[in-house]
Amino acid sequence: MRKKLNYKRMEGLQGYVFILPWIVGFIAFTAGPLIFSFAASFTNYNITSQMDFVGFDNYENLFTADNLFWTSLYNTLYYVLFSIPLTTAGAIFLSALLNQDVPGIRFFRTIYYLPAVLSGVGVYLLWMQLLDPGTGLVNTALGWFGIPGPNWLFDPDWTKPALIFMKLWSVGGGMLLYLASMQGVSKSLYEAAKIDGASSWQQFRFITIPMITPVIFFDIVTSLIGGFQIFQEAYVMSNGEGGPVNSMLFYNLYMWKKAFESFDMGYAMAMSWILFIIVFIITIINLKLAPRWVHYEGEER
Amino acid sequence: MSKIVLKNVYKHFDKKVTAVSDFNLSVEDGEFIVLVGPSGCGKSTVLRMIAGLEEISSGEFYIDGKLMNDIPPKNRDIAMVFQNYALYPHMTVFDNMAFGLKIRKFKKDEIKKRVEEAAELLGLEELLHRKPKALSGGQRQRVALGRSIVRDAKLFLMDEPLSNLDAKLRFQMRAEIAKLHQRLKTTSIYVTHDQTEAMTMASRIIIMKDGVIQQIGAPKDVYDNPENTFVGGFIGSPSMNFFDGRIVDGQFVVEDVRINVPEEKMEYLREQGFVGKELTMGIRPEHIHLLRGGEEAGQTNSILSKIIVSELTGAHTLLYSMLGTQEMIAEVESRTNVSPGEDVYLTFDMNCVHFFDKEAGIRIRPEKSEVLVG
Amino acid sequence: MEEVEVAAKKRDEERVASAHAYFDNIHTKRKLLSLVNFILLAAGSLLILSPIWWMISTSLKSMAEVMTYPPTFYPREWNWDNYIKTWKAAPFDTYAINTITITMLVVIGSVLVNSFIAYGFAKVPFKGRGILFAIVLSTMMIPGFVTLIPQYVLFSKLQWINTYFPLVVPAFFGSAFFIFLLRQFYMTIPNELIEAAKIEGASHFRIWWTIGLPLTKPALATVAIFSFNGAWNDFLGPLLYLNDESLYTLQLGLQVFKGEMNTQWNYLMAGSLLVLLPVIILFFFFQKYFIQGINLQSGGK
Repeated sequence: MRKKLNYKRMEGLQGYVFILPWIVGFIAFTAGPLIFSFAASFTNYNITSQMDFVGFDNYENLFTADNLFWTSLYNTLYYVLFSIPLTTAGAIFLSALLNQDVPGIRFFRTIYYLPAVLSGVGVYLLWMQLLDPGTGLVNTALGWFGIPGPNWLFDPDWTKPALIFMKLWSVGGGMLLYLASMQGVSKSLYEAAKIDGASSWQQFRFITIPMITPVIFFDIVTSLIGGFQIFQEAYVMSNGEGGPVNSMLFYNLYMWKKAFESFDMGYAMAMSWILFIIVFIITIINLKLAPRWVHYEGEER
Repeated sequence: MSKIVLKNVYKHFDKKVTAVSDFNLSVEDGEFIVLVGPSGCGKSTVLRMIAGLEEISSGEFYIDGKLMNDIPPKNRDIAMVFQNYALYPHMTVFDNMAFGLKIRKFKKDEIKKRVEEAAELLGLEELLHRKPKALSGGQRQRVALGRSIVRDAKLFLMDEPLSNLDAKLRFQMRAEIAKLHQRLKTTSIYVTHDQTEAMTMASRIIIMKDGVIQQIGAPKDVYDNPENTFVGGFIGSPSMNFFDGRIVDGQFVVEDVRINVPEEKMEYLREQGFVGKELTMGIRPEHIHLLRGGEEAGQTNSILSKIIVSELTGAHTLLYSMLGTQEMIAEVESRTNVSPGEDVYLTFDMNCVHFFDKEAGIRIRPEKSEVLVG
Repeated sequence: MEEVEVAAKKRDEERVASAHAYFDNIHTKRKLLSLVNFILLAAGSLLILSPIWWMISTSLKSMAEVMTYPPTFYPREWNWDNYIKTWKAAPFDTYAINTITITMLVVIGSVLVNSFIAYGFAKVPFKGRGILFAIVLSTMMIPGFVTLIPQYVLFSKLQWINTYFPLVVPAFFGSAFFIFLLRQFYMTIPNELIEAAKIEGASHFRIWWTIGLPLTKPALATVAIFSFNGAWNDFLGPLLYLNDESLYTLQLGLQVFKGEMNTQWNYLMAGSLLVLLPVIILFFFFQKYFIQGINLQSGGK
């Protein structure tokens, strides 16, 4: 029996009209580019003259002959490994403080959140000044306590800690995320715990933390994906070079230089796929580990 | 004039779940039909199929002889009141009521006229410029009704419109909707899980269970002659009492209690071969009477019962006790002082009992029915 | 007899007294905790705000004062004309106009198109809706650089390099994050509202326009603000696609300015502050919508 074009099917067609912009955008700006990039990663594509198939040469060179690739991967892992636990813990701690009944709490929340909305070159310039060894605020303040400040952005050992330090300034973004979910925890749970004799710390440890694990999970997954893509701050603060001594040459910065400075497009696209795979595997691991520690409330959703 | 016919209507979800099966109904112009049943019985699905919000899986649906299956909701000329009212929160009461007319490109002054008329009818004149947020539950309910009235639609659908109101308002709005229907005479289909609403408002009740119609009839009909134990138990509050037993020697035997059955009932039970078979006897609580004093106690059909709970509801008292191992509720005059633990004599008005085939739960009718003997 | 009564009375009194002590104790404890909390938060706010104060203070200093050691916390003299000098030192008015143009187009596109798409995903039933929405979500996992390079290839083949098209056009094809955010919000609108409108004779397009848009205003404000922030702070896009200085945005202009000014911190801070100012103002006025976006995010997980 042939299906009639009834109104339910008409409604379905309307649905496709609604999402049509996304479908077009997805094909043109995501799926198409992904396919092209995957194919091109096996060529010596340089955008203008050549696109010859070179097999796994790009990948092989990356792993065996390119020291800078390893440097950039190391730098990126260093950044991710330190910045994510620090920002996550910082955000949870801050939101616990801001979840209390203290006079002026709304004002405090605003202040702590402010740095999170600031980004771009202006912020990087500000931090370059703050971290300036001679005239900057950070070393001046350290000096009050008799601590000789490091050379930060001029010392290869201190560039990455400097970036992590800067990242911690905007911890308020994550704080709001946690605060929102902490406020969603039912008061009666805390009251029940009090009657059971739990101390404030125990209430935090055994009620607050488990109840907000879904948000912790969400935050970790998204900041991992974001952390691997650190680029702008390193580009601006090292004048697009990744120095000193390649200590700020993060993965994406190196890829950028390969793609848009030396136009080794094929090579850069191979790099991008390696990053994609790394991020993908880490996300999958996260998803697999989640049931062990993430607590989901009922079956509401 | 609008006559509605549903023929062999089925609704399947995901090809596995059958929400409604073989639904047949024909509604005459001006009727007020109430679909009633426990939650999940498919009553709302029927209404939504009539509205065109759900597709009819198979079967046919006609309004005035026109097949409606593939007509989108907007072309069915129906109006609907939702359980949560579904008022547009960003529009004033006036705009809420005018919305459908605007879409149908009515002239401005015609819209104004109609909305004002409906507002007057419902006592909303003062509230026209307000937004739904600033209204009480009952007022919102009225706006939802008004929105449907202005359209002057052929068919009026209501999906549990009163269940979000408190008891007192519900009572009041029930009367108001009934009054409105008497005045406008629009063919209406009303869905509820509340059997009281069904009993008080309907010109005909349809009782559903598990997607299947159990009985269609006028409220009195359905109350007096339930087709099966489900209808008997669902309609009426407190519920009908059911006792399992069998007919032996012209008596209904429930465990160790024997009750005489009137000859006329015995006649058709005997005729249809139910003597000695497992039966269920149904009796409404108001047909169980309390016997006073010693002289009555000795009479036939008196049952000695120990009262477990006695509840005064106002006009009546409910006496809870056991018949053998089966629960029994009697509804007696409120002025009878019976305390829990007391032994009293109760008697059944055996002319008002119904017998049901225990297995099928179907009522055994006086006239010989082919199906039952089968 | 009497002795027993007296003893009982005494016991009662003691019980009442100890109960009072318990609650008194709790009250003092709570007050103390609240005070400690307040002090902690106040100190933290100073820490968080000090970079911003430092930026303002430095921007008003003379270069000689910037270079003095130890650095001063207050400018000795307030050189307001630093701002005028900064603005005139580079074509900042051109940058500003360019940035405003791009930002406005991106905001309009993001608000309208994402709302349209999200309505389709939330309120119009059609085949494959679940799978397509899952694809929308999964695209959020793809590192931007994987598609950045092939997108650059695409735009360069379209002759769009050195135009605003690559910066603006994608905004009109939906973004996964905004679609997700708005769909979350649409899900809170009862379906009965849509059904009532359908019965009254409205098509889905009409329902989206007359009911969907007005009812999702708060979420649209969030999208507007987030996309404003994104476009205003975008550095990578302009860096990649714009070559002519007459097309530069504020972010790019600031980066060039940084190269020209070397370590003229007072001018650099004045420039940074001017670029950040619109975002700061927006934040203080529309904080509610920033927070709403975050709440939608955390509710979605």
